[in-house]
Amino acid sequence: MGVLYLLGLLIALTGMVVLDRRFQLFFWRDWRRAVVILPVGLAFFLAWDLLGIRQGIFFRGETSFMTGLQVARELPVEEPFFLALLCYLTMNLLAGLPLLVAAVDGRRGDERRGDERRRDERRGDERRRSGEDPGPRDARLGSSAKGTPR
Amino acid sequence: MTYWGLNAFFLAAAVIVGAVALGVHLRRRRESNRLRNVSWIIAVAILLTMTAVFDNVMIGIGLVGYDASKISGVFVGIAPLEDFSYSVAALILLPSLWVLLPSRSRDRSNATTPTPEDSR
Repeated sequence: MGVLYLLGLLIALTGMVVLDRRFQLFFWRDWRRAVVILPVGLAFFLAWDLLGIRQGIFFRGETSFMTGLQVARELPVEEPFFLALLCYLTMNLLAGLPLLVAAVDGRRGDERRGDERRRDERRGDERRRSGEDPGPRDARLGSSAKGTPR
Repeated sequence: MTYWGLNAFFLAAAVIVGAVALGVHLRRRRESNRLRNVSWIIAVAILLTMTAVFDNVMIGIGLVGYDASKISGVFVGIAPLEDFSYSVAALILLPSLWVLLPSRSRDRSNATTPTPEDSR
């Protein structure tokens, strides 16, 4: 029971790593930047937490979902994992959404182009039938040979 | 100090880094920005929605408590509005650092042409 929250965070973090690896979102996109950004983000939010705790604004809840271990006064061991998840999720989302939007957009574009192509083909058929379009070359030659009695 | 007073400090830091990064980003702006803008709006909406949902769960099951005299009293469900500052700061600070840090591809190819890595 006491490891439930930590376990949930670790599972979610694993999901972030899997998505990152599959779609090259953060570490797999540019690990040199990621290895700086994640620790800096983590330090930034931990400082925020610690100041908030020192000011008595928020504090660790008494719950059976947490291990009860603390890395600092009122700062549960789970919190750095939560903050890492927040950072990783943010970067994965910001890198992943353009891929998702482009994929949806591209598919819609393909459909549109497909419709146009089909419409053009249909229009070409109609023109040929109504005589506007000379149609295939050999047919034109044939008709001109018959049509001009000179 | 109130929760907003604390957040103002950290949000200001994120906004300063964000402003610098935005300047850098606009100077090396690429052609199409519609895709980027739409993606940004959706990503922000998703992260804030997830914050609302999970923060409510976390407070609901008692992971964290607040001093009622130090929060504004504006809530999203049972989550103090101030909590959203963390997500907002993450959305400003982290991508800004990404822009400001030297990119892997810049020394290898022209920075204005998206590399295969970028489009994948």
